[in-house]
Amino acid sequence: MSSVNPAVGRAFARRVAPAQALAADAARIAQACYEMAVRFHRGGKLIVFGNGGPATDAQHVVVEFVHPVIVGKRALPAISLTNDAATLTGIAQAEGFDEVFAAQLSLLAAPADIALGLSVDGRCVNVRRGLATARDLGLLTVGLLGGDGGDIARDGIADHVVVARSDDPCIVKEVHVTIYHILWELVHVLFEQPGVLEPEAVR
Amino acid sequence: MSAEVDGAIGSLYPFLGTRPTDVDAVLAEVARSTAAKAAEIVALRESLVAEHGPRLIDCARRCAAAFQAGGTLFAFGNGGSSTDAQDVAQLFLHPPTTARPLPAISLTHDVALITALSNDVGFEVVFARQVAAFGRAGDIAVGLSTSGGSNNVLRAFEEAARRGMLTVGIAGYDGGRMAESEFVDHLFVVPSASVHRVQEAQTTVYHVLWELTQQALTGDL
Repeated sequence: MSSVNPAVGRAFARRVAPAQALAADAARIAQACYEMAVRFHRGGKLIVFGNGGPATDAQHVVVEFVHPVIVGKRALPAISLTNDAATLTGIAQAEGFDEVFAAQLSLLAAPADIALGLSVDGRCVNVRRGLATARDLGLLTVGLLGGDGGDIARDGIADHVVVARSDDPCIVKEVHVTIYHILWELVHVLFEQPGVLEPEAVR
Repeated sequence: MSAEVDGAIGSLYPFLGTRPTDVDAVLAEVARSTAAKAAEIVALRESLVAEHGPRLIDCARRCAAAFQAGGTLFAFGNGGSSTDAQDVAQLFLHPPTTARPLPAISLTHDVALITALSNDVGFEVVFARQVAAFGRAGDIAVGLSTSGGSNNVLRAFEEAARRGMLTVGIAGYDGGRMAESEFVDHLFVVPSASVHRVQEAQTTVYHVLWELTQQALTGDL
């Protein structure tokens, strides 16, 4: 085996600790998945949003839930708030960019739903506004963040927050992809556990 | 009474579905599986370094040369890979750091174009026709397919190669038909049976490719 180019070695090495650190959040992720599964079980839908790279993650999460890669898994309702350029630019023009997700949530969300906001540094005003509005409406709120979690983590804006432990937005994204794959899988695992989502078992 | 958990998920959680409802036990088990998955993706990425390291350097240098000569990057894929194509494009075009912005376009955005081509011709041409319309010799085509077998991605590579573009393929499993294509100059295969772990490692591959391309542009590679 030839020796590894130092630039490649460094690039891959920087990703190890943040990916390993995810294990420490396992219990937190399990609890978030459980509450998500309860919401789906009661007819709720998942609403996902983020800016830039995380806007593409929002769309990816939707594909995972609506069109599962594992044949036979049921389709669960999920929508991304980053797809509709007409609505997005219309709200941004009329109410400002900070409101693009909050305003869509006010129009589209029901109390039984789940809001999932992604922000690589936890400092996206429109994601914060979206999560806060969702919580006011009665939704379960989940934040996938990075860096130090920013003001969204500090101010307890969401019911559940998982912070990818890196300041590099690319690495944060990679950890987020693993997290939302796990969210999808565990929701289905919980769906297949008879009784755990029924009112008498829910905690 | 308990239903059996079947399929791929059932095999990962063998004891689930075999005992009465116990929320705490279920949550403890799913937490354990999360930790296992974190270890799995770390090991998978590690396995890519030796195999793909030299190829990533070679590919990054050629991408940098293409950008220096005025080339544009076009990215494409289906489903989750379409979101990766969009992520590739926005990363090159509007990088999060002070890195140099580079011209890049995802061919997965324009719903009018994609539905028109699908309706009038067929879904297999949605990327190839756009490559034919936008692509010039010296441009870069980046296609992603977890199976390696997406027809429309393979057709786009064929069109790109015909036009003298640099072609970069990112695939999973054994690379599928992408691995057999004569139209793919640089191929990066993530060998995992889990489509989720494949996607996670593919994300790393294109992030590192971007990072190395930036280094090549500044003469640091």
